[in-house]
Amino acid sequence: MGRKTQGYGREVEQQRMSYKFNWSVLWSGQSGAWLLQGLLTTLQISILGWLIAISLGIFSGALRTMPLAPLRWLASGYVEFFRNVPLLVWMFFWYFAVPPLLPQVIQDWLFDHGAEFWAGVFALGVYHGARFSEVIRAGIQAIPKIQFEAAVSTGLTMAQTYRLVLLPIALRLIIPPATNETVNLIKNSSVALTIGVAELTFQTRQIETYTAKAFEALVAGTVIYLMLCLSIAAITARIERRVAIPGMIVRSSEF
Amino acid sequence: MKRCLIVCLIALVARTFVANAETTLDKIDKSATLTIGTRTGSPPFAYVNQRNEWVGFSIDLVEKAIVPALSKKLNKSIKLDKKESAPQTRIPLLTSNTVDLIAETMTDTQARRDQVDFSLTFFVTGAQFLVKKGTSIKGIESIAGKRVAAQQGSTNAKIIRERVPSAKLVEFPDQPAAFQALAQGQVQAYTNDGIQLAGLKAKAPKPNDWAVVGDFFSYEPYGMAMRKNESDFRQVVNVGLMDAISTGLYFTIYDKWFGPKGELPYPLTTEVKRFLQMQVVPK
Repeated sequence: MGRKTQGYGREVEQQRMSYKFNWSVLWSGQSGAWLLQGLLTTLQISILGWLIAISLGIFSGALRTMPLAPLRWLASGYVEFFRNVPLLVWMFFWYFAVPPLLPQVIQDWLFDHGAEFWAGVFALGVYHGARFSEVIRAGIQAIPKIQFEAAVSTGLTMAQTYRLVLLPIALRLIIPPATNETVNLIKNSSVALTIGVAELTFQTRQIETYTAKAFEALVAGTVIYLMLCLSIAAITARIERRVAIPGMIVRSSEF
Repeated sequence: MKRCLIVCLIALVARTFVANAETTLDKIDKSATLTIGTRTGSPPFAYVNQRNEWVGFSIDLVEKAIVPALSKKLNKSIKLDKKESAPQTRIPLLTSNTVDLIAETMTDTQARRDQVDFSLTFFVTGAQFLVKKGTSIKGIESIAGKRVAAQQGSTNAKIIRERVPSAKLVEFPDQPAAFQALAQGQVQAYTNDGIQLAGLKAKAPKPNDWAVVGDFFSYEPYGMAMRKNESDFRQVVNVGLMDAISTGLYFTIYDKWFGPKGELPYPLTTEVKRFLQMQVVPK
């Protein structure tokens, strides 16, 4: 295992790497089930968080572009307040600071039904809603003002203009940055482990604790996150191709 | 000329890949510092007190028993450097050479001995539950179906998962988060080693609201962990601890933290005292 060799004037033991790889720990025993459970929890928390984020994002993004100043201030307040505080702080806020404010009955029900999961969902949803809001605002502002004026001149109300003309175009324009934010959301779901949510990163640490095979466990987590995010990117690339408005988006020759 | 340059470059790079493993004693000798991994939120073993000092029973043991033994062995004065560790990070901290010794509240188990070496046992306790006074939870028999908090990566979580699968385990990265969850009702009990629960209770704003319940449902001997295959370093650490026990220094430190006037009164039973004394082998 060790050979004596001359080095720096002294004899030094030369050792090979003493870490023994054992990839079977990933599927033997409980590890396989844990990874699967972790992946499911990550998917659940991400999907629910994403739904909240996209709704809040579209709503506040649209509000920030409206002609009425108070609406703009309301949306701006939401965005600045929520995106300028780290997500970790929001996780603790939703889990520790919010429940005491709720009525006791709701508190008891919540604690018995996965309070940490819902705290994670809301923390992710509201934080990423603020970030989506900026992306959607950029999309709406990229539409030439003439579209808005034309829509209003045909007799559409403000709400109808946004719903029928501006948002459909804006959403198609912002697919790349929206994909970026979605992938960020999935990765940020790992922060939920600090409030006890047993998602994928938590489970890889669990496997590491029980089997002492840190390298294998972390590689498993890495590979699963990579595959998840790459699939999202592939799906949105297809969606982008299908819904693109001819003439509105400059396409690179790669497509 | 170019060929000679390439060969030299390859030799240089190859040399850095060859793990020139120096022993821990060499490392401490070179840097004149012992780096330990210890907790910041586990009173009275290792915590930050009201005067913002990082103190504790485990830290004192290292400072007063092990550092002098190291200084004597290496013939120079050794400084102590402290880094924060937690159940999930302590073994990686050791194996990555970030710290040389884990001196906190780590239980010595056979499974862990596959990854690290342990010093002599320096404290004995067992796992119990911390609950709000007056609840119906009285021990491991009564936690089926209840929400229980534990620390991620701890032996206690593992035991509950195996023995009471119906208990809803919620695992937190550290003790303060778990205690907060207990205080707010997110969980109904918090499991950890009895002495740590007693420490939490004593430091809580209203200690009388809490109760430490249940018989020890596990045997938790605390040891100091170090990298494997370092018998010289381990010898120094053990000699330090043995000297402290035989000269009575250990009991003075124990009294400071766990005596009647200590941070957390927890008298040493005759059984444990005898056990500690019998760990001291003859010179």
